[in-house]
Amino acid sequence: MTATVSTVHVWSGIAISVVQVIALVLGAPLALGLMAKVRARVEGRVGAPIRQPLLDLRKLLTKERVHAEHASAALPIVPFVVAASVVVAVAISPLISTSPALSESADLLVVVSLLLAGSVALAIGGLDTGTAFGGMGASRAMTIGALAEPALLVAVVALAIQAGSTNLPAIVAGTLAHPAWAASPERLLALGALSIVVLAETGRLPVDNPSTHLELTMIHEAMVLEYAGPDLALVTVGQAMRLGLLVALIANLFFPWGVATSFSPAAIAIGLVALGLKVTVIVVVIALVEVRTAKLRLFRVPELLAGGFVLAVLAVVTGLVTR
Amino acid sequence: MLTLLVLVFPLAAGLVALVVPWRPWVGWVAAGADAVVLALGIALAVTTSRGHVQHSLGGAVRADALSAFMVLVIGAITTLAAIQSVRYLRIEREAGRCTDRHASLYAVLVQVFVTCMLGAVLAANLGVLWVAVEATTIATTFLVGHRRTDGALEASWKYVVLCSVGIALAFLGTVLVYFAAIHPGGGPSVAHGVGTLNWTSLMAIAKHLDPNVMRLAMALLVLGYGTKVGLAPMHSWLPDAHSQAPAPVSALMSGVLLTVAFYALLRFKAIADAALGPAFPRTLLVVVGLASLLAAASLLIAQRDYKRMLAYSSIEHMGLLALGAAAGSTLAIAAVLLHILGHGLTKAVLFLTSGEIHQAEHTSEIATVGSLLARRPALGGIFGVGILAIVGFPPFSLFISEFTMFRAEADAGLWWVVVVALGCLCVIFAAMAGHSRRLLLGDPDDGTVAVATPRSVVAPLVTALVACAVIGVVAWPLQSLLHAAARVVAP
Amino acid sequence: MTLYLEVLEIAAGAVLVCAVVTLWRRDVRAIVTILAVQGVCLGIVAGDLAIHQRDLALGATALLVLAAKGLVVPLLLRRVLRKDPRSRETTPLVNIPASLVAAAALIVLSYVVSSKIIALDPSPATRLVPLGVATVLVGYFLLVTRQRTVSQIVGLLVVDNGIALVTFLVTSGVPLIVELGASLDVLLVVVVLQVLATSLGSRFGSFELDELTELHD
Repeated sequence: MTATVSTVHVWSGIAISVVQVIALVLGAPLALGLMAKVRARVEGRVGAPIRQPLLDLRKLLTKERVHAEHASAALPIVPFVVAASVVVAVAISPLISTSPALSESADLLVVVSLLLAGSVALAIGGLDTGTAFGGMGASRAMTIGALAEPALLVAVVALAIQAGSTNLPAIVAGTLAHPAWAASPERLLALGALSIVVLAETGRLPVDNPSTHLELTMIHEAMVLEYAGPDLALVTVGQAMRLGLLVALIANLFFPWGVATSFSPAAIAIGLVALGLKVTVIVVVIALVEVRTAKLRLFRVPELLAGGFVLAVLAVVTGLVTR
Repeated sequence: MLTLLVLVFPLAAGLVALVVPWRPWVGWVAAGADAVVLALGIALAVTTSRGHVQHSLGGAVRADALSAFMVLVIGAITTLAAIQSVRYLRIEREAGRCTDRHASLYAVLVQVFVTCMLGAVLAANLGVLWVAVEATTIATTFLVGHRRTDGALEASWKYVVLCSVGIALAFLGTVLVYFAAIHPGGGPSVAHGVGTLNWTSLMAIAKHLDPNVMRLAMALLVLGYGTKVGLAPMHSWLPDAHSQAPAPVSALMSGVLLTVAFYALLRFKAIADAALGPAFPRTLLVVVGLASLLAAASLLIAQRDYKRMLAYSSIEHMGLLALGAAAGSTLAIAAVLLHILGHGLTKAVLFLTSGEIHQAEHTSEIATVGSLLARRPALGGIFGVGILAIVGFPPFSLFISEFTMFRAEADAGLWWVVVVALGCLCVIFAAMAGHSRRLLLGDPDDGTVAVATPRSVVAPLVTALVACAVIGVVAWPLQSLLHAAARVVAP
Repeated sequence: MTLYLEVLEIAAGAVLVCAVVTLWRRDVRAIVTILAVQGVCLGIVAGDLAIHQRDLALGATALLVLAAKGLVVPLLLRRVLRKDPRSRETTPLVNIPASLVAAAALIVLSYVVSSKIIALDPSPATRLVPLGVATVLVGYFLLVTRQRTVSQIVGLLVVDNGIALVTFLVTSGVPLIVELGASLDVLLVVVVLQVLATSLGSRFGSFELDELTELHD
C-alpha cells in the first residue's frame, strides 16, 4: 500500500515538475513581454504586444544555426547548458507545489549552483568567440556575479536559519505554517537583499540595460551577440526562465500563500494561478522600478551589490539574534 | 558643607565673569575663588585623611581622602593658572589679539571647566562623574580654539572629535558596569534587578559582578577615559591641543584634565580589581602605559616646537602613571598620587613660562627662540629648572614618586616593564635636555640686553617649583593624606 | 510573538540598517536625513520599552531622544551644509564596496563580542545588543574613513546612537540624571561641532579635512 502511495507521489511529483517547466517556458517570455509593455505604456508609447517575445522565439527557431569560425567545441554546447541548467532548477523548485520531483534535493545550494552553472557557461561562450565584445561582457558579468552570488547565498541562508533547513520546499512549508515569520525583520532584510540580487542576476536596470547594444553599456547582450537561430532561442528562453525562476522563488519564499501542499488537481490549479498572479505583480513592480531608475555606471554597481551583501549579512545576524 | 562650598566658589566666579563685562578684577576674582578652593581642599584633606568621609546634597556629593587630594591638586594648579591668566589676557588685549568678549568667554569657560572637574572628583555616582568629564570637553574646545588661528581651529576640531569618541566609549563601559550591577552573582543575599552607579555601593557588591562583562567594561573604560588621559594610542589630540591652546589653558589641561580622567580610571580599577582580580586591569594599564612611553620617547626626539615638546612630556608622565596604577599596591598608588601633584605643578609652571616666552617672542619654535637664558634670564632660569624637575631630578618630588612607582612595579613582578620604562626615560631625558639646551643656551647674535621679567610673574612660578622641591624632600605634610587616599582604591 | 517584541526588533534592526546606509550613500545631505531616521527609530525603541515596563522616566527619555536626535541635531547639521555648495562626498579613504564588506565583518564581530553580555541576562531585549554594538562599530568606521566635517560628525553621532541603543536594551536606561546629562552633553557637542565646522568652512574655504595639514610632527 505504501509502495503504491509513494509511486503515486513520485509520478505526481514528476507531473508537477513538467507543469512547472512548461508554465515557465511559456510564461517567462510572456513576463518579459509584460515588462516591456508596462514600460512602454508608462513612457507614453504603445509598445509591442505582450506575446512578442514568444513570436520572436518562434522566428528564431526557423533560422539557420551559425557558429563563429574560431570557436572551439564549447560554443555549440553553451546554449544547451544554459537552457538545461535552468530547466532542471525550475523542475525541482517549489513554484506551484511544495513537492515537485526530487524535492528532497531542492536545496538552496543546488538551485544556486545550477543558476551559476548557466552563468559560467554563458561567460565561457562569450570568451570562446574571441571577439572583444564577448570577452568584455563575460568579464563584466563575472564581476557582477562574484558580488551577487554571496549576497544571494547569505540571504537565503537567513531564511534557512529561520526555517531550520536549507531545503527550499521546507522553507516554503515553514512559512505557510508560521505566518508571523513573513513580517519578521530578517525576512524584510533578506527581501531587500534578494531584490538587489535579482536585478543583478537577470540583467535588469539599474545594473544592466537589457535593450542596449552600446559597447560601453552592454553586459549580458555582449555575451550573446554571436548566437543565431535556435542557439539564440535557447539562450533567450534560458535567460527568461532565469528571471521567471528567481521572481517565482522570491514570491514563494516570502509570500507562499496559494502554493499547493497536496497533490489534488484543484490545489495544483490554484497553485498555478497563484504563481501567475504573484509573478505578474512582481514583474510589474520591477518594470516600474526600471522606468524610474537610470543605469548605474559600471564602477557603481559593486557599491549596490555590496550594499545588498551587507543587508543579507544583517538578515542573518538579526535572525540569529532574535531566534 | 565643605564639599558644597568647594563647588560653589568657582561657579560663583564664573557667574560673575558671565554677567560683568570684562575687567582685570574679574580675573582676580577667579584667581581668588580658586585659591579658596585650594584652602578648602586643605581643610577637606585634614578631615578625610583620618578616614572620615564627607557627604553633601543627600549623598550625591562625596569626599573621601582620594577626592580631597584631587581637590587639593586642582586648587593648586588652577590658582597658579588663574593668576597667570590675568597677565596673559592683559597682554593679549593690549596686542589687539583678543577682544573683551573673548576675554569674558575665556574666564567663564575656565570657571565652568574648574567646576566640572571639581564636580567629577566629588561625585558619588560614576554616571555623574562621566557627565562632568564630558562637560569639560565642551568647555575646553572653545578654550583650545581661543586664539582663533588656523592651527587653533584645526586643533580644537581634532580635540573635540577624538575626545567625544573616547568619552562615548567610556559611557558604554559605564553602562556595562551598571548592567553587571543589575545582575550580580552571589545568590539571594545580593539585590538583583536594581542597578547602581554609586561607587560605594558598587565596591560593596564588586566581588559578585560578572567577570566577562566587567572585562569588556574595563577594556572600554581604559580606551575611553584613556583618550582623555592622553594614553597612546588615543593620544594624537594632545600635542595639537596643548600647543595651540593659550598657555594657562594648556597648564590646566595637563595638570587637571588629564589627571581627573586618570582619577576616574582609578575608581573603576578599584571595582575591576575586586571583580576580576588584579591581573586583567594590570595588563590593560601596562599595555597603554608602555605604548605611551614609547610614543612619547620616539616623537620627542625630533621636536621643533617647545610647546609640543611639553605636550609629549605629558603623554610620557601619563604613561608612567598608568604603569604605577598597574602595580596596584597601596605604595604604588600613593606614589601615583604624589606624581600627579608634582607633575601638575611642574608642568603648569613650564606651560605658563612657555606662554610668557611665546607672548614675548611670538614664535614657539625652539630654533628661532634660542639663547633664552641670555635674553630673559628669569624666564629661562625657571624654564630650565622646570625641565630638570620634569625629567625627574632630585630634590623635586617627581624623582621620589617615579622611584617609588618603579620599586612598586618591581615588587609586583613587572621587572621587564621597569626596564623598558627606564630605557624610554633615558631617551626622553636626552631629547628634552637637547631641546632645552638649544632653547636656553647660546649667545644672542645681536647683543640684545637682558630683559627683566616682573616679580609678579616670577613669584608664583618660583613658589610652585619650591613647593615641588619641598614635597620631594619632606613628604610629611602629605604623607597621611597620600596613604589614606591610596587605601581608598588599593586596600 | 508579542507586539512589543516585534516593534523592538524592527526598530532596533532599523537603527543598524540606517548606520549601514550612511556608509553606503555618498550624498552628505542624504546621510543627515538617514541620521534623523535613525534618531526616530531609537526613540521608538525607548518608547516601546517604556510602554512595556510602564516606566515614566524612560518614556520621558524616549521623547527627549526623539526631539533631540530626530529633529534638533539634523537641523543643526543642515545649517552647516547650507554653507557648503557641494554636497557629494569626495573619495572616502576606503571605497564604498570595501567599506560595506568591512561593515559586514564588523556586524559579525559585534555578534561574537556581545555573546558574553547576552550570557549574563538572556532576556529578549538584551539579545538585541549585537545590533547596538554593530552600530557603534559601523559609526566608528564611518568617522575614521570620511573626510568631510559633516560626515565625521555623523559618524560620531552614529556611535552615540549605537551606545544609546545598547543602554536602552541592556539596562532600560540609566538613572534619569545621567540620561539627562548625557543627552544634554550630546546636544552641546553637536552645537560645538556645528560652530567649529562652520568656522572651518569659512576659514579654510572648504570642508575637506585632509586639507588641514598645519599641525603635524
